[in-house]
Amino acid sequence: MKAEAGEIRAEGWTCASCGSPLELLPADIAYMGSSFQVELPRCRKCGFTLIPQDLAEGKMLEVEKLLEDK
Amino acid sequence: MEQKYLRDFEARCTQEEPPACRSMCPLHVEAREFACLMAVERLDEARKILERSMPLAGLAAFLCPGHCREHCRRSEVDAGVNLPMLERACLLYTRSTKPMPMPASGKTAAVAGGGFSSLCLAYELGKKGFRVNLYHQQDIAAAFAALPPRTFPERSLGEALEQLAALRVSFEQVKDFSPDRIASLRGEKILYLGLDDPDLDPAAFGLAGPGDPLTLESPVPGLFAGGAGLSFIQAAAAGKRAAGSIVRFLQGVAPSSAREGEDIYPTKLITDLSAVAPLPPPDPADPLVPTREEAKAEAARCIPCDCLLCVKKCAYLSHYESYPKRYGREFYNTLALKFGNRRSNIQIISCALCGLCGVVCPNGADMGSFCLEARREMAQSRHMPVSAHEFALEDMAYSNSAEVAFYRPQPGRKRCRTAFFPGCRLPSSLPEQTGRLYTFLTEHLDGGVGLFYRCCGAPARWSGRERLTAANAAGLREIWEEAGGPELILACPSCALFFASELADIPVKSLWEILPGLPLPKQARPLKQSLALHDPCAARARPDLIRAVRDLAGALGQETEELPLGRDLTRCCGYGGLASAVNPELGAEIALSRARDTDKDLLCWCIMCRDSLSAVGKGALHFLDLLFPAGDEARVRPAPGISLRQERALAFRREMLQNIWNEKPDEEGDLDPINIEMDAEVAERLERRRILLSDLKRVLLYAGEKGGQFYNPQTGRTLSSLRPKQVTFWVEYSPRADGVFVVHNAYCHRMLVPGTPGEGLPTAAVLEGFDPRGGRA
Repeated sequence: MKAEAGEIRAEGWTCASCGSPLELLPADIAYMGSSFQVELPRCRKCGFTLIPQDLAEGKMLEVEKLLEDK
Repeated sequence: MEQKYLRDFEARCTQEEPPACRSMCPLHVEAREFACLMAVERLDEARKILERSMPLAGLAAFLCPGHCREHCRRSEVDAGVNLPMLERACLLYTRSTKPMPMPASGKTAAVAGGGFSSLCLAYELGKKGFRVNLYHQQDIAAAFAALPPRTFPERSLGEALEQLAALRVSFEQVKDFSPDRIASLRGEKILYLGLDDPDLDPAAFGLAGPGDPLTLESPVPGLFAGGAGLSFIQAAAAGKRAAGSIVRFLQGVAPSSAREGEDIYPTKLITDLSAVAPLPPPDPADPLVPTREEAKAEAARCIPCDCLLCVKKCAYLSHYESYPKRYGREFYNTLALKFGNRRSNIQIISCALCGLCGVVCPNGADMGSFCLEARREMAQSRHMPVSAHEFALEDMAYSNSAEVAFYRPQPGRKRCRTAFFPGCRLPSSLPEQTGRLYTFLTEHLDGGVGLFYRCCGAPARWSGRERLTAANAAGLREIWEEAGGPELILACPSCALFFASELADIPVKSLWEILPGLPLPKQARPLKQSLALHDPCAARARPDLIRAVRDLAGALGQETEELPLGRDLTRCCGYGGLASAVNPELGAEIALSRARDTDKDLLCWCIMCRDSLSAVGKGALHFLDLLFPAGDEARVRPAPGISLRQERALAFRREMLQNIWNEKPDEEGDLDPINIEMDAEVAERLERRRILLSDLKRVLLYAGEKGGQFYNPQTGRTLSSLRPKQVTFWVEYSPRADGVFVVHNAYCHRMLVPGTPGEGLPTAAVLEGFDPRGGRA
């Protein structure tokens, strides 16, 4: 899955635990036995990863369906 | 899937069979396609069709007597399409294209006789790279001398001879076929005797008569003979077939091998003529020279024949723009795939399994049975797309959970002769009326009536999961046995189908066969307006119930109308087979297609039908709306969304147990203290994404305990996620001072992302069909 930095919109969100701004950091995401490393907005300290709505319902859904039909 | 299963299915679908005009044409010209092109004035393409199967088409088409006309299905309506006239017009207004011979093969053949079969054989062999030497006694043109004048324009014979010359065919006019000449010809490795030339005597060549009618083989190896006593087109076919035999003979293959379909044969193609109106043929001023307009008008009379009986009636079948035979093949190929994209997956699980195709098809090709079989294999081989049925099966598990499902004998009795089984959807859609119906039954049936509330398990069966289906059926049976084995009264026709297939030994009756025998409920009221009766697909094979609901409507004094496709030909609402659960857009398309069958409001007796049709904006009522009116305007009552249905299921249980059995209400769940507020637009979005209120509450409860994950200082909103099952839910919200959570948005995904709280284990209901660890075994 390609998730280019430009596509992901997480402006304005901060980590609720520590108040840090989010940074685009590598994250391992997995489904149906396949895993990918992509850059996602994350809190460097607390490890939370934000999945914005357009990613969840766009590219991510597309890849989910693709993997399910493999 | 066994290949035999596919073959049996394919054999039932006749859509790929040729129309009669083609199967009965000695040359099997694609006459339907030809006529269709002529009708839209694409004459050059039409000519290519003739040239594809007609040797020397530029001449042959003028000589065609139109054997197809008497077999044309339009002849059953008025008169068969005049193909010869179309052929003439096509040739008159187009130019011939040059045949493209294959490179010279070094093979040679001798032909004796200048008849049309000889010319056509020479043409066919010439195209295949043969060098053909044709011996004739009379002038070639003389062979056509007996034809009426103007049968063909003079130039076309010249063009035919030019074509043959271009194909390396040499002509030798002989004085006669003397014994020496015959001896020399018999010395050739390959010889064809064109017996449509009167100068040839087969006896002189040592033959008793023509060769085999199909292959034209004579008893002498390498000697082929035929063509006598035939129409020009039959003679052309004889020459073409002899060419095929010669090629086989030289390859060392028996000339009779693989000749299926070369002779004429009656087609199996089914064509419904009921909508074909008479269309008088044009009357050309000069039948030998039809104008373009006359040809166009005649071509427009082609029906054109095809079957598609099922496709025309089914929104699912027409959605994928093809027909069952091809679908079956594609599904089979998808099932056989070891690697790669399983293209037909979603299509296989989008069929509503309603069975209409199997009923309208004279051969009983039932796409639904095929899809169900395919689904079973997908589930068993763990190729069922994980997310497709998950929600529906979780909903089923919820209906069968201890929180919701129950059995109680009628108060004051330990065992009951019967038990009312309303199914999962009726109580969650019409809780009050279902309760009143139960009380009504207890008042009018002897021996006590228990109440048995749960889902029959049809969703498991529809999803192809056989183990889950069996487990559900076993669970149901256990409770039924504990209840002392009462006869079950089923309100839902889909439940009835499920019992018939999975629990056939449990005695059941349909509510709809019982109600007409009971007095009408006191409150029962007909509507003033006439309603169109919509029968559920699950009752297609139950003429007794179809009659009973009409009796019931009559007893009620409700005026009803029949739909054009009703009773055993009823069309689906889109809910069946979990079609709308898997493919909501197609589900809605199916429902809309049904809704458009009438301007009237519909009267349904399956609550799934009522709600599915209502959800696409159709005015629809359930019989219970007339038997136990609730005072609302039932025809426009919105179908309950998923969250509301689940809430109502709980409430139905709570209220029934409280009011009828005087039981204390269940303890309130942990989620109840969470109060949510959202506007209608957000609520509708959640419904579309199948996000339940309880899902939101779980996220908010967790966030309340552990703190939210993300905060936006500009908007003051919080964004939190939780993965309580195989789905991660995200909720964007603002907590208000009064403790209410104002929800602005929610969405979900299935991919596992680091840092998401929650276990993410799938529920037992959906385990069958995929590996809980996410990969495949």
